[in-house]
Amino acid sequence: MSKQTIQNDFFTDKQIKFQAFGVKIGIEAEKILYLEQIYRLLEKTFPTGFEKVQEQEIEYRFIIKSNKTERGERFNLFRNDEKVIEEAGGEFFFQMVESEVRITVAEFAVSRVFLHAGVVAWKNQAIVIPAKSYSGKSTLVAELVKKGAVYYSDEYAVLDAAGNVQPFPKWLSLRGIVDPYTQLECSVESIGGIAGTKTIPVGMVLMAQYKRGKKIPKRWCPRRLSSGQAIMEILPHALPIRNKPKFVLEVLNKLASRAIIVKTVRGEAKDFATTLLNYFTIQTD
Amino acid sequence: MNNSQKHTARKEGLVIQEMPDEVLVFDLEINKAHCLNETSAFVWKACDGKNSVADITKLFGDKSGTLVPEDLVWLALDQLKKENLIENTNEIVVDFNGMSRREVIRKVGLASVVALPLISSLVAPTDVSAQTSCASSHRAIGCHCDNSSQCASGNCANGTCAAAVRGGKKNIELKQQK
Repeated sequence: MSKQTIQNDFFTDKQIKFQAFGVKIGIEAEKILYLEQIYRLLEKTFPTGFEKVQEQEIEYRFIIKSNKTERGERFNLFRNDEKVIEEAGGEFFFQMVESEVRITVAEFAVSRVFLHAGVVAWKNQAIVIPAKSYSGKSTLVAELVKKGAVYYSDEYAVLDAAGNVQPFPKWLSLRGIVDPYTQLECSVESIGGIAGTKTIPVGMVLMAQYKRGKKIPKRWCPRRLSSGQAIMEILPHALPIRNKPKFVLEVLNKLASRAIIVKTVRGEAKDFATTLLNYFTIQTD
Repeated sequence: MNNSQKHTARKEGLVIQEMPDEVLVFDLEINKAHCLNETSAFVWKACDGKNSVADITKLFGDKSGTLVPEDLVWLALDQLKKENLIENTNEIVVDFNGMSRREVIRKVGLASVVALPLISSLVAPTDVSAQTSCASSHRAIGCHCDNSSQCASGNCANGTCAAAVRGGKKNIELKQQK
């Protein structure tokens, strides 16, 4: 049996338990080696840290079970007895566990609304970019950071009850380095940026659809959305919309009443990042 | 059309968020969000079970400071009925005197300076959280798969979504099928 190398408040015998954004999580596995791999990934996802939780308080219990098959060792993941990952290969399984834990926190976070979005800060206001996976969100965030914006997240805009955004500075997941689909994790510092630490108001929400080769005119003039239209555009990216629609609508209403919300088609992230920051500066000065 | 009909806006099972010129309504029964523009919102709020269609037309005219055609209110009611935002929808009889809805919209649009009633709707997706998980139809690398079309990378290798193959395995499979 391998020896436990991580020693902290969140690690006990065959279990990780912690609280993040008010969500109380427990993860169990037969081997401490598996838990250590998951813990290292979770540390990158939640760099601002965890809070302690008591055993009896755990709301979401993840259990990892492995079995030997003719294709090698395969893993299953259960969340509160429901199978959420089936027969996964070992190489990526731990990333998938991290993903399921992250999604659980995002969906059930207390007094927070998690939007699937990239976020940067510019002149102490947030630019929120809601988008689906594989839409170039992280690439655009990385380009904005390279141009001096402060990194908040490439995955979630975490909104508090007042509609302000707080940092979720997980490591950036960048695709397109090895191939269009393989994701590589890198710290914001490795691309020359810094991560935000303060909760800030949202200055702008950008609904952008990527179109290869799309040229943005010098005087870019995106379509401004009304509050109602804006919320309808943002809603599909709000993780807790089915669990707590009232709270989500209240928070989004506060956000939409203050922020500039635009919709556009964009081209390459590198060119578009400059246009976006210039526009935001003009609009907010 | 019977302009003495009185209707009541549905309130049960809805989350309502008022905004300056619009109203957002979330239907908890079917997880559907609706955005009512100013005209639809006004008509909906005026449906208090006491106001007739004629009353609502007059109220809206007073508010907008212009003469409002009654058909405008009927158009709004028609949409509200369709989205189940009015109680007892079976009792609402919308009849544009033999004209199609499109014809009515054109007629009302030309005759009125106020915005046509509009309700935009969307069903809250079940898979917002699944976009990055193995439950998605575009599964991430490492997820279990039965065929390549289930993987975002387009490459299902030995039952697991793997990195993309140069040239695109999905494309190769499609070509083979043809």
